[in-house]
Amino acid sequence: MDFASLAVQLNAGTIVPEAIVLITLMTVVVSDLIIGRQASAQWTPYIAIAGLLASVVALFYQWDVANPISFIGEFNGDALSVVFRGIIALSAATTILMSIRYVIQSGTSLAEFITILLTATLGGMFLSGSDELVAVYVSLETLSISSYLLTGYTKRDPRSNEAALKYLLIGASSSAIFLYGASLLYGLSGGETRLSTISASIASAGLAQSIGLVIALVFAIAGIAFKIAAVPFHQWTPDVYEGSPTPVVAFLSVGSKAAGFALAIRLLVTAFPLVSEQWQLVMTTLAILSMVLGNVVALAQTSMKRLLAYSSIGQAGFVMIGLILGTDAGYSSMVFYLMVYLFMNLGAFTCIILFTLRTGTDQISEYAGLYQKDPLLTLALSVCLLSLGGIPPLAGFFGKLYLFWAGWQAGAYPLVILGLVTSVISIYYYIRVVKMMVVKEPQEMSDSVKNYPPTDWTLPGMRPLQVGLVSALIATSLAGIFSNPLFTLANDSVLKTPMLQQALGRSKAPIAKQMAPTISQQLSLQITEVSTKKAVSLPKSMVHS
Amino acid sequence: MNLAEGVQIVSFGILAAMMLGAAIGVVLLENIVYSAFLLGGVFISIAGIYLLLNADFVAAAQVLIYVGAVNVLILFAIMLVNKRQDFQPLRRGWIRKAATAVVCAGIFALLSTMIVSTPWAISTATPAGDASVVVIGLHFFSDFLLPFELASVLLLMALIGAVVLARREFLPDDEADRAQVEALRLPERPRELVPSGRDETVN
Amino acid sequence: MNPGIDLQGSFIESLKSFGLPAGAAKLLWMPFPMLVILVVAVLSVFALVWLERKISAAAQQRIGPEFIGPLGILAPLADGLKLAFKEDVVPAKSDPLLFTLGPAIVVIPVFLSYLIVPFGQNMVITDVGMGIFLWIALSSVTPIGLLMSGYSSNNKYSLLGGLRAAAQSISYELPLALSVLAVVLMSNSLSTVDIVNQQTGYGILGWNIWRQPVGFLIFWIAALAECERIPFDLPEAEEELVAGYQTEYSGMKFALFYIASYVNLTLSALLFAVLYLGGWEFFVPIGTIAGFFNISETAPWLQVVAAVLGISMTLLKAYFLVFIAILMRWTVPRVRIDQLLDLGWKFLLPVSLVNLLITAGLKIAFPVAFGS
Repeated sequence: MDFASLAVQLNAGTIVPEAIVLITLMTVVVSDLIIGRQASAQWTPYIAIAGLLASVVALFYQWDVANPISFIGEFNGDALSVVFRGIIALSAATTILMSIRYVIQSGTSLAEFITILLTATLGGMFLSGSDELVAVYVSLETLSISSYLLTGYTKRDPRSNEAALKYLLIGASSSAIFLYGASLLYGLSGGETRLSTISASIASAGLAQSIGLVIALVFAIAGIAFKIAAVPFHQWTPDVYEGSPTPVVAFLSVGSKAAGFALAIRLLVTAFPLVSEQWQLVMTTLAILSMVLGNVVALAQTSMKRLLAYSSIGQAGFVMIGLILGTDAGYSSMVFYLMVYLFMNLGAFTCIILFTLRTGTDQISEYAGLYQKDPLLTLALSVCLLSLGGIPPLAGFFGKLYLFWAGWQAGAYPLVILGLVTSVISIYYYIRVVKMMVVKEPQEMSDSVKNYPPTDWTLPGMRPLQVGLVSALIATSLAGIFSNPLFTLANDSVLKTPMLQQALGRSKAPIAKQMAPTISQQLSLQITEVSTKKAVSLPKSMVHS
Repeated sequence: MNLAEGVQIVSFGILAAMMLGAAIGVVLLENIVYSAFLLGGVFISIAGIYLLLNADFVAAAQVLIYVGAVNVLILFAIMLVNKRQDFQPLRRGWIRKAATAVVCAGIFALLSTMIVSTPWAISTATPAGDASVVVIGLHFFSDFLLPFELASVLLLMALIGAVVLARREFLPDDEADRAQVEALRLPERPRELVPSGRDETVN
Repeated sequence: MNPGIDLQGSFIESLKSFGLPAGAAKLLWMPFPMLVILVVAVLSVFALVWLERKISAAAQQRIGPEFIGPLGILAPLADGLKLAFKEDVVPAKSDPLLFTLGPAIVVIPVFLSYLIVPFGQNMVITDVGMGIFLWIALSSVTPIGLLMSGYSSNNKYSLLGGLRAAAQSISYELPLALSVLAVVLMSNSLSTVDIVNQQTGYGILGWNIWRQPVGFLIFWIAALAECERIPFDLPEAEEELVAGYQTEYSGMKFALFYIASYVNLTLSALLFAVLYLGGWEFFVPIGTIAGFFNISETAPWLQVVAAVLGISMTLLKAYFLVFIAILMRWTVPRVRIDQLLDLGWKFLLPVSLVNLLITAGLKIAFPVAFGS
């Protein structure tokens, strides 16, 4: 069997976007090794961004593939996964834009940072499409371990060390719990690892209402909730967000979280349909806790990064509303909100990085009077924060509107009302920052702002930061008004995903789903053949045993 | 019960007792070095249980990876930083311990009830025995190809990450543009850096 | 292929003829090969100690032990007796439990590894599918024992020696395993018997040493390092560390380390012979000789001759390698610890990876010569 026919048989075309990221990663590593650190810092980030954008373009061509199942059921490149992979790749590209100057400034090497970030992206992208427990776990670990490394990347900074250690310890235990849950699924289903076959075999074994399945569900949710930082699995978030390098926080809050949501949808919908009431109950609890705790605790924060940490916990709570509903509108509002969240959150982080680079602090009180010195930064940060809060013409408003509308349609009234109340609370703390920046009198200006250096965009690595800032600003302010394409994209991604349509009880299983098992059956036949042949050809093992 | 079954039951009993004893020791002993050595005992007993389950390759891999690599690394880490430190006994520390014990006992009770009450589907496939390596290899290169290859990326990245964390940090060679960049600063900026390439040439 | 002599089969058959059930006969057989191997392995220590003394003496133009038995052959026995009757000192501030356990953990894996050493087609304790992988896995347990004894001695030289020993054996396990993997790739099996069978048929020309010249050198270097022989005896470098992790040991506990190191050397040499020098194969295939004299290959007396020849060939090859190792000990200077680790990680590891890659490529290109 030659390479080309093997690729066709495995339907390897579906992972072309990931392959592009992988090739970019290898290019960055090898070129950094060959041409040295100084020279490579000039252009490796741009190679990485180009690779990620190319991967997004490749994803565009994956939109309408006839047979999304590849690698004999390992990977499912359906429309939903395409959208999530796109969000993750875009967030990584934006993160690189904002990290160039930051990493140079922190005195660490850029190429390794980009390598690890690209690996995390790769893990997240595979996680969005993995359709099998082993693949899910390996890609989850790829994402997690690279995140731990990124968190501790500025290793001379004790806060970064502390953050990395906390993240590692809590993350390792949560992934161990997830693994236990996955092994329970494997055992209950009688040795199935493919998500799509697990629930059928559990049902046929008559274990649909067993306590084992519920325990597996709880353990799996513990692993997922850690990734999306839902209360009560959020304890790591504030410390990690405060301590780790800011670009890393940006990626964790968008890319890693999106991957977590992709996993949540796929795992809960395909592997746990038998206990859907239970998981909806658990997720509702988590959503309520996250919305309340995230938004209320954020009120008391004095550090900008901690503020955004708690705000991201609250935002995760909003997104989970869409997951719980179990309707078309629910899933697509979730996707839509994540797309909008990508722009506004990354925009906010770009602004914070810029401010930190200029002043060396991220205390909220130090932002006082910034408008006098840097109107562009003030404008961008205000727009992003107001959008996060959900102020009308901006993108965040439409995201929240859609989420709450979907919730109202599905009859989840208490949840929607709670969401409304907590977003009003969130508006308070976002506006507090904006007010601090805009309306302070010149004499009330903070010391850092008084010593604010003049803007010089020509320094190495500042131009990409400017590009990221302006594009996030434009996207956040216009994505709301011109949200129709994004809206259609989100809706289509749900409508075109067989897994969700099946779960919503609408369409028959498409042909692609039935094709894959036949291949795997052939393969298992082949394997048993080989093993029996081997056993026959080695009679000495019987002689001696 | 024939001879083979008897041997299996007795070995299972011994291995299980070893594993439980060692695991409890890992958790409860005060001396961290003892804990680390006992962890090796836990790993070895698990390898023995794998052997009883007819998974000899997994057993050997368990010994090689967990005992030979992971445990030795843990021991290394402990012995290189073994600072004897007397911890102040916490006031009312027993409450924490008791609470932990209650939680653990609760989880144990829950899981064991679950395991006992579930009618597990028992696989009817004949164990591969000596050919297990071949079967594992075939799986790696067919239906588990994707995670297998992804694991290689994961390991590569772990390698790079370990080097990043372990190596000495250097400042860029040309300090010329330092003054110009002075306008920008970070709280994370490490102050006491070693210039790169210097100390290599000295010794 | 020559099926070789089947001692187990004949033993069980003869017991059955006395009216014993087959199970009981097998049960009686089982401890027999283990005991034999155990005794032979321990005896080989005496042989090795004697060889070490004689060869070192020759290398330094001395005579060496002469009066204790003919050619001083009883000198190792005297050594053993001395160690057995010596007082067993446990240092006051040491950790007595770990101090005692350490040497045991060092010795056990070495002896267990003899499970898979074949002396003939059927002359192996157990031909498990894991084969050579079992040896690699077991040999990775030894560092734990070394760390344990180094730590429990409560002596900085011991601790440093233990840490060095563990670092060294971890570093050299990788090239060792990778060079073994190249051999395994050619024989399509981890079983030691299969590895030897794959080299049979062409006499000396079929041995793996011709097909794996690089792997053979890597294996030898890595095996010497694993056995902590000069030039790689850093863990017990007496100028730097007194005697490394053995510093505080005396009596039988010291003897255990001593035995373990020599048994390990023999084991490495035996496996080297199996992997690269055709195991029990004679320089010319037995079948060819039998065909030349027109003798049936299944004639019982020929099988006995072949079995004896197999055992002696294996031992001969192994002792040739032991001889080289001892000669190296008395002629080569010791490397420094950083050089040792550099050699392992920066040179041997990449070279063995390339060797593996080339072997895989050659296997695809020339399946006839490199195993199909």
